Amino acid sequence: MSDSAAAPTSTGIDHKKLIMWLFLASDCMFFGTLISTHLLYRKLYPTGFTDAEGHVRFVQNLFDIELTSFSTFILLMSSFLMALAVSAMHKGQIASFRRNVLGVILFGLIFLGCQVYEFTHFYHKGLTIQNSVFGSTFYVLTGTHGTHVAIGVLWLVLLYFYSFTGKLRGHIGALDVEIAGLYWHFVDIVWIIIFTVVYLVEYLGPNGIWGSAVATITP
Amino acid sequence: MSAHAEPAIDANFLAEETRRYHHFITLALWLAVITGAEIVVIFLPLPVALVLTVLTVMSVGKFFAVVLWFMHLIYDARLLFWLFVAGMGLACATFTALIALFSFERVDTAWFS
Repeated sequence: MSDSAAAPTSTGIDHKKLIMWLFLASDCMFFGTLISTHLLYRKLYPTGFTDAEGHVRFVQNLFDIELTSFSTFILLMSSFLMALAVSAMHKGQIASFRRNVLGVILFGLIFLGCQVYEFTHFYHKGLTIQNSVFGSTFYVLTGTHGTHVAIGVLWLVLLYFYSFTGKLRGHIGALDVEIAGLYWHFVDIVWIIIFTVVYLVEYLGPNGIWGSAVATITP
Repeated sequence: MSAHAEPAIDANFLAEETRRYHHFITLALWLAVITGAEIVVIFLPLPVALVLTVLTVMSVGKFFAVVLWFMHLIYDARLLFWLFVAGMGLACATFTALIALFSFERVDTAWFS
């Protein structure tokens, strides 16, 4: 039996869940364009960026792969905890749901903390949203993702406190948690793509995949 | 008896949820391992095309693992799967079209002059 079979709708799927999947499909297109834009401009402008002192900087030297890997791991594990929270809610185990959701909130906040640290670090290294095409596309893409994470954290905090009112229970309660979970997992899958196409590809080849290392040493 | 008593949870449903719980744990371990492998593979002295292919396969694998199991698409109604695939398909088509449009080094510019 599918999860949605009990819902009394013409499609057999709860309307809230259907709307959420429609939203996620449209958000896919939104992030698709942001990622495409970033990659296109990396290709068209392979040099990194020029800092305040006028030095051309190579993007690979700017990134901190350890920090990004750590935040990726944190987000993946938050997705795991979210899956456990949804499972607990389906089984009517409210205490387990609260524990897991608290874990997701904590991991979400750690991820956001890492992103704030990264942005601050980049800013002090001279990368701003205005001084290069790379800065513009990078901050818009990762900032939009970060905003999604922040909204997800806020949503889960509200759900956590709502669970103490006694109204978050039964099929409707489980569905509400499942929908919040869908949103959180979506944020995670977007990061899976961003981690590869924005961060990891910068390390490929001796000159970077965009040939940017060569470009930086050319007068 | 409380006025807010919950209906009893079906034993089969509970067994299914427990089975999924174990899948989630296995999947989380695999996701961690694949992420570790992604970080290792970028530093290996291999051809860029090969590493890029491996990275693509691994991230697409992680993507669909989360979508199918954590987001329950493998257990849920087919309509939801196709809705999401439609969004994904449009995003991929936009990406492909933009890459093709901006690959101007392959265009014979002499034709315009």
